[in-house]
Amino acid sequence: MSEVALPSGAGVAAGVTDRETAAAISPRRLMWLRFRRHRLALASGAFLLVLYVLAAFCEFVAPYGTTTRNDDAINAPPMGVHFFDAEGRFHLRPFVYAYRMEVNPDTWMREYAEDTGTRHPIRFFARGEPYEMWNLFPMDRHLFTTDAGTYIHLFGTDPLGRDMFSRVLYGGRISLSIGIVGVVLTIVLGILLGGIAGYLGGLADRVVNKAIEVLQCLPSLPLWMALSAALPVHWSPLLVYFGITIILSLFGWTALARQVRGRFLALREEEFVMAARLIGADTPRVIRKHMLPSFSSHIIATATLAVPAMILGETALSFLGIGLRPPVVSWGVLMFQAQNPLVIELTPWQMFPGLFVVLTVMAFNLLGDGLRDAADPYSTGGMK
Amino acid sequence: MHDDTLLTVTGLSKHFDGVPAVEDVSFDVRRSETLGIVGESGSGKTTLARCILRAIDPDAGVVRFRSADGWVELQDLSPKELIPLRREMQMIFQDPFASLNPRMTVREILEEPLVVHRVGNREERLAAVLDMLDHVQLEHDSLTRYPHAFSGGQRQRIGIARALILRPNLVVCDESVSALDVSVQAQIINLLEDLQRDLGLTYLFVAHDLSVVQHICDRVLVMHRGRVVESGVVDDLFANPREDYTRLLLSAIPSPDPDVPLRPLDRRSVGL
Ligand SMILES: Nc1ncnc2c1ncn2[C@@H]1O[C@H](COP(=O)(O)OP(=O)(O)OP(=O)(O)O)[C@@H](O)[C@H]1O
Ligand SMILES: [Mg+2]
Repeated sequence: MSEVALPSGAGVAAGVTDRETAAAISPRRLMWLRFRRHRLALASGAFLLVLYVLAAFCEFVAPYGTTTRNDDAINAPPMGVHFFDAEGRFHLRPFVYAYRMEVNPDTWMREYAEDTGTRHPIRFFARGEPYEMWNLFPMDRHLFTTDAGTYIHLFGTDPLGRDMFSRVLYGGRISLSIGIVGVVLTIVLGILLGGIAGYLGGLADRVVNKAIEVLQCLPSLPLWMALSAALPVHWSPLLVYFGITIILSLFGWTALARQVRGRFLALREEEFVMAARLIGADTPRVIRKHMLPSFSSHIIATATLAVPAMILGETALSFLGIGLRPPVVSWGVLMFQAQNPLVIELTPWQMFPGLFVVLTVMAFNLLGDGLRDAADPYSTGGMK
Repeated sequence: MHDDTLLTVTGLSKHFDGVPAVEDVSFDVRRSETLGIVGESGSGKTTLARCILRAIDPDAGVVRFRSADGWVELQDLSPKELIPLRREMQMIFQDPFASLNPRMTVREILEEPLVVHRVGNREERLAAVLDMLDHVQLEHDSLTRYPHAFSGGQRQRIGIARALILRPNLVVCDESVSALDVSVQAQIINLLEDLQRDLGLTYLFVAHDLSVVQHICDRVLVMHRGRVVESGVVDDLFANPREDYTRLLLSAIPSPDPDVPLRPLDRRSVGL
């Protein structure tokens, strides 16, 4: 029912007052108008969009590759970007200071401080380390870099002197895309199986339902672990990537299938669906034109809420050393390197990947909540 | 059987989980008449109506319908074979809010029957839609609007237009005016009568409001627990009910003054 009648005056509540405009306004647009009022969800969406664009073009955005080592900066802290130098002079071109390395006489650890005598000006769209964009086009321009012989490490470096900022970006490409690829698989499985169960009913419904119940009873993490541990060791990183994605979505589809099934069952009884059948529409048309559109927004919301589980799944498996493995770089792989509490204490910037996981998961949850509220004004916490 | 019989129903039964909802119902419907089906809530009126149009499948019985190509037995047809017959029999629903897809514009809703049955090209379909809007007295600028922009009565007009755009013979109205305000009810009943006259429609009119039935129907079936307990010409049956159950139904007709005996519905009193 929630799909059928919009709350009276929903158009007005969404800021549409003109009678004519409200009359011809499509439900999809109404959803957007409602969604727009969730500021936090909107901001999360923008944040994720930026993150995904950065990850998609990470070769260009990152100043270095994932394996480039800087022997002058081992476990070095993040650099600050400056416009004013030590004498207080303003520079239009932002710059970073070179590291000044000292060995701590007590701990014998290398420690880095800013060498305010040596500025490394930041060059935008300048030539730098050569790379292959998407493994296809050889290029050497970067969004930002510094002159040859100098360096920039916005997020510091790891124990091998590799740039954390670049590695976080490359890792983001893997981790973020696993979320999306996994969710696409989940949606396909969920709609297919949920749709079959809900539309056909009977035996198909019982079989799918039993499968869902069994899968939902199983604790997912141990099963993920068992299955990923079973992936052949000689598999190429790409195969492992898809293997992990499939394992993650194998358990993710149940929630969506449940929803789709419920929607199908409810919609099958709706009068407008019966009306469509009675005017002579065949089953594919009824499903395509009358059933799917009225819960596609719910599918989008549910899918959005399912992405964090995928990302966390990948991170957890890689963190435990049974997911993706180096030389593949993902946020989970990066966090695997920072497992040691001592590492966290001495070089906390190695936790940057973790910070990004947290931010991403939070953003997806906020975005999903906003979408769900906009799609279904009757759910709790939705429109007043 | 008269030679102007449009529909004959014989021994129709439908059970839900073993509980009978319609039990051994038989009747005829003649062309251009309005047959009322009355009964208390749960007596099986909706189930009967839906079985006839094969919105649900009956368990037993024969439903013979005189289509353009001669008599067909609806209960045996596959969903595919039913599709061409949908042009000749249609349903007007009770709930003007639930029976229109909220995600389609009025134009899409009214065009769909034509598209499904491949009637005409784009312009011809638009012309047919506009013509139908005139019939149900809706403005042409309704085309681009969504159902939520209309009142209950207007929505019911859209539902009527959708049912009639294929020019069916048999139209099943399942409580098609019960959800409307009394004054709007009168307008819609008026419209249904005009359309019947203009388009030569045959109505199967399901209702629980006997004053409406008395007003619009020629003959009436009284249903009780899935069975037809009494049938006949409306005025006779309402004047001399044979069954206690019918008498009970009749006594439930609300009257402004309890001392005033039951009279036929006065058109002016409901604003016609
Ligand atoms: N899909 C269904 N599944 C199970 N039982 C049903 C179903 N549809 C109807 N019934 C039952 O069949 C009986 C007849 O219902 P029906 O809807 O035909 O009555 P009705 O005369 O139309 O009532 P109302 O005036 O309330 O619309 C009722 O007891 C109802 O509970
Ligand atoms: Mg009913």
